[in-house]
Amino acid sequence: MKLFKKIILVSTAAVLVSGALAGCSSSGNKEVVFYTNADDEAVVAMQNALDSNGYSGQYIIQTFGTSELGGKLLAEGKNIEADLITMSSYYIDSAQEEKDMFLDLTFDHKTLNEYPSYYTPITCQEGAIIVNTEALEAEGLAVPKSIKDLSNPEYLEKISIPDITGSSTGWLLVQDVLSEYSEDEAKTIMSGILKNAGPHLESSGSGPIKKVRSGEVPIAFGLRHQAVRDKKDGLPIEYIDPTEGNFSLTESVAVINHDNETNPLAMEMAECIIKNGREELLETYPTPIYEGETADPENQSANPKVFSQPLTVDLLTEHTEFVEECR
Amino acid sequence: MNKKNFEIKTIFVFVTVLFTLFLIVPMCFVLIKSVMADSGGLGFEHYIDVFTSKGFLQAVGRSFLVSSVSAVITVVLAFIIAYAVNNTNLPNPLKKIISITTVFPMLLPTITYGFAIIYSLGKKGLITEFLGLNVEIYGFRGLVLGYVIYTLPIAFMLINNTFKYIDKKFIIVSRVMGDSPLQTFFITCIRPIIGTLGAAFVQSFFLSFTDFGIPAAIGGEYTVVASTLYNEMLGSAPNFGNGAVVALVMLIPSILSIILLNRLEKYNFRYNTSSNIGIEKNKVRDFIVGILSVVILICVLSVFVVIFIIPFVESWPYKKIFSIEHIIEFFKDTSLFKIYLNSLLVSLLTALCGTLIAYGAALVTSRSTLSRKSKQVVESIALIINTIPGMVLGIAFMLVFSGTSLRNTFFLIVVCNIVHFFSTPYLMMKNSLSKMCASWETTAMLMGDNWFKTIVRVVTPNAKFTIMEVFSYYFINAMVTISAVIFIVGARTMVITTKIKELQHYAKFDDIFTLSLLILATNLIVKGIFAFISKSQEKRKEKR
Repeated sequence: MKLFKKIILVSTAAVLVSGALAGCSSSGNKEVVFYTNADDEAVVAMQNALDSNGYSGQYIIQTFGTSELGGKLLAEGKNIEADLITMSSYYIDSAQEEKDMFLDLTFDHKTLNEYPSYYTPITCQEGAIIVNTEALEAEGLAVPKSIKDLSNPEYLEKISIPDITGSSTGWLLVQDVLSEYSEDEAKTIMSGILKNAGPHLESSGSGPIKKVRSGEVPIAFGLRHQAVRDKKDGLPIEYIDPTEGNFSLTESVAVINHDNETNPLAMEMAECIIKNGREELLETYPTPIYEGETADPENQSANPKVFSQPLTVDLLTEHTEFVEECR
Repeated sequence: MNKKNFEIKTIFVFVTVLFTLFLIVPMCFVLIKSVMADSGGLGFEHYIDVFTSKGFLQAVGRSFLVSSVSAVITVVLAFIIAYAVNNTNLPNPLKKIISITTVFPMLLPTITYGFAIIYSLGKKGLITEFLGLNVEIYGFRGLVLGYVIYTLPIAFMLINNTFKYIDKKFIIVSRVMGDSPLQTFFITCIRPIIGTLGAAFVQSFFLSFTDFGIPAAIGGEYTVVASTLYNEMLGSAPNFGNGAVVALVMLIPSILSIILLNRLEKYNFRYNTSSNIGIEKNKVRDFIVGILSVVILICVLSVFVVIFIIPFVESWPYKKIFSIEHIIEFFKDTSLFKIYLNSLLVSLLTALCGTLIAYGAALVTSRSTLSRKSKQVVESIALIINTIPGMVLGIAFMLVFSGTSLRNTFFLIVVCNIVHFFSTPYLMMKNSLSKMCASWETTAMLMGDNWFKTIVRVVTPNAKFTIMEVFSYYFINAMVTISAVIFIVGARTMVITTKIKELQHYAKFDDIFTLSLLILATNLIVKGIFAFISKSQEKRKEKR
């Protein structure tokens, strides 16, 4: 009986202690909740910027897949738990249009291109064809020059591409196809590419380049800067700017308007990320966005392009449906 | 009379209000959401939308297929193991090891199973490299393997429990009557447990059909209903109306399962006595069944070996060198450790409050003079909960409480867990309480104790083993669950399993497996503590 009482006592005590510990760590509930869909390197860069500027311990960072965070934004609007987000810009645009949920940024930032008042980019990422030169030679395959080439039957199960349903990098490829070809032609090309990718259709944007690195497939579509870095690191990787163009996507920082309960620290942190985080972000995502930033010539793609229609979630849905029809 | 029943009435009211607020209301919300048109009025557009969408019926079909295949395999394997434990002359220590290792996977979350399978049997997996295999594990095969590992412990526990109570003397009777060995096997071994085999199949099917963790990890392009449901609620283009419809569709096999389970109950035999006297000496049989069981368990356990290895390797699979860097990094990262504390807090609170509530509810039905109707209410609550998959409950909570101050709180997570797992603890408590002498309360009352004192001094000490079992049941389930909580946690209230889902995005498997190890260690400690207490209690009893 004594033992039994003890166990009740001990477990009650344990609840109180862990409650106190968990409680202390979130005491006051004043931390900024920071949702992001960024890749690991970008998250680390942003954390470094915040921590070294006195915000350590004042924010909770939570990472999501693009589609998950996008869904949350569109579903919850201003009710979202987050105070601060970084997210693919087209999602921020759509969320603002539907839910009117972001504050105008109040700090100075001089971008090279023009962006809406409620967000400013943290990274810019371009798509390109990536090949493993050794594997390509071993297989005796021709070097593809365009996205259209990727639909060529000789590449059956030799290419890896990101799937548009889970990855915005996948969207960059679809933009290539849809911007250059008539609908019928685009369908044939996309179907061919999907068939060639077969088991190497990846749900993550960096999945294909991993497969090229390991030599599992000789050809992939992925983010250009990753291939540039691999080549510099001495890997047998080469990048090809497709003749259809290098399309790009930006990810941006935005502050949620919680009306009276808006945490003023959120805006400060957004500023801190842009002012102090860009330097480290540029190491991984080398495309210049702000005045005074310059790009390594290798990181300047041959054929930068912008899709004819504005990028929105609706357009993404439309393009996803197009891909579904090609499966 | 009124005054006498005051306490138990209070408990009854509390339990009823609790489940009305946190079960009935949220479920009604799902129903309403599913028939609400986007324009505002009533309508079936979500139903039409869901049922005419290309992938949905396919996902339902796949769910049925993969769950049934897994359930058949599970039942066969569980039967072999239960047979080895109950109907052979294998040495007792071996039997004990077999029983314990069979239920081992229950101490880990299902999402970990999926990742363990990937790292064991994937292209660069441990077992793949070791045996030089090359199997495609994403999709159907991976799901079947995951579901079998997941449901084997439960199927085994069910079959084992029935086996225990079979009177093996009938084996002798059957042989004396001149039955062939095969006939004896069917008459004395299969026939008495046929109901349980059916129940094990239905249970396995139900669990597989509604599990979220395994498809989240390893489903790949093979979409099942659980993944469809997740995508409708938290995917790229969430549609809560459609999600509500999918949730209700998921409810149908659940309800059918429960009806089937109740039917199967009738096939169970009741023996007046049970003994192990009848088991014949048969070395060949023992050897074959023993080896089979051990092989099954080695296969299951080998999948989990990776979780003990990956966190201690520098960079799997490229640099296979021992390193404790990840572990050090892990504990340096205070945010991860905080999440462990969150999980601990949630599990302890769930276990403590859950046990109290299950105890209270069981007191109402088994040790009170309340009307049959009131008892019926509590019974129906338990029955309803049994039919509601965790994912559906989580979604219901998400729909009702988003935008309120309860959203993303520990309180809500704990309540959700208590409701989600209520059925089994309640039945365990009820069984235990109804076996006790019915006149204790009256006797105590005559001796001058009030109701509360009687419960504390007489009933509780007699129910303490069950209370401990209920506590650890709640604790372990709260520790490993993901299906409901994934929809209601927030950044400040993350628990380990939902963090694992987040880490999946970055393929940070060192952290995923380290967190899984923490869950495992914690559950083992809790199990160990309770085993130690019951042992020392038993010893004390013997001394007396």
